[in-house]
Amino acid sequence: MEILLAGLGASIGAMIRYAITNYGKKHWEWIGKQFSNLPTPTLLINLTGALILGIIFGLGTNVFFYSLVGTGVLGGYTTFSTMNTELVELYKSRNYHGLILYAVTSYLGGVILVFIGFWIGQLCK
Amino acid sequence: MKISNYISIACFAFFGGMARYSLNVQWSFYGTFWGNIIGCFLLAFFTYFFMEFKDFRQWLTVGIGTGFVGAFTTFSTFNLDILKNIQAGLPLTALIYFLSSIIFGFIFAFLGMRIGKNVGMLLRKED
Repeated sequence: MEILLAGLGASIGAMIRYAITNYGKKHWEWIGKQFSNLPTPTLLINLTGALILGIIFGLGTNVFFYSLVGTGVLGGYTTFSTMNTELVELYKSRNYHGLILYAVTSYLGGVILVFIGFWIGQLCK
Repeated sequence: MKISNYISIACFAFFGGMARYSLNVQWSFYGTFWGNIIGCFLLAFFTYFFMEFKDFRQWLTVGIGTGFVGAFTTFSTFNLDILKNIQAGLPLTALIYFLSSIIFGFIFAFLGMRIGKNVGMLLRKED
């Protein structure tokens, strides 16, 4: 049962990710240009996903809700592979400043936001 | 907005999410770690393979890349695993998990890019 919820959630999450990425590529390119061609859509997706998952874990939801929304929607919404493929693209185009900036904001930002989310969840419990 | 792309992504992501769930049930955060690392290789491979070998429909390329592999890997659970390890009093495990994901994720994506590009070029030459 939980596995199907995780699959269903992942379908929803992946579609949201695709919609945001497409929208961001059209409308947020100017933001990326200000910051060494930072891939802003994926960065936004991963950081918000980490924050929301922290909140859900802090709230302590039941196993079905966690499988659907935590593992499913947020797992499908955020992506580790796209981020690394984008890091390789930045490396290939010799944009080392963008590479370091993207890696640091994603990885450090993700850890900080999952903790902040957890505390928010605990407070709202 | 192409509706066929969304349908394809939803179908492929369904299996990507279930595969990730199974890895997590079997091997806890080691499963998520290996899923993420293998996913980095696969996404870079397919991205550069499809770039060289252009004869695929868009719904199929976004279904496999954005749908299956994108949903198979996860950034949010990766961060939550770090939090869980720190809370469990295992900061060293959290640090090793954090650093090895960063290093191996990049290396495997890099290898996927090189191999995907070469395989795509090789197959194009044959026809």
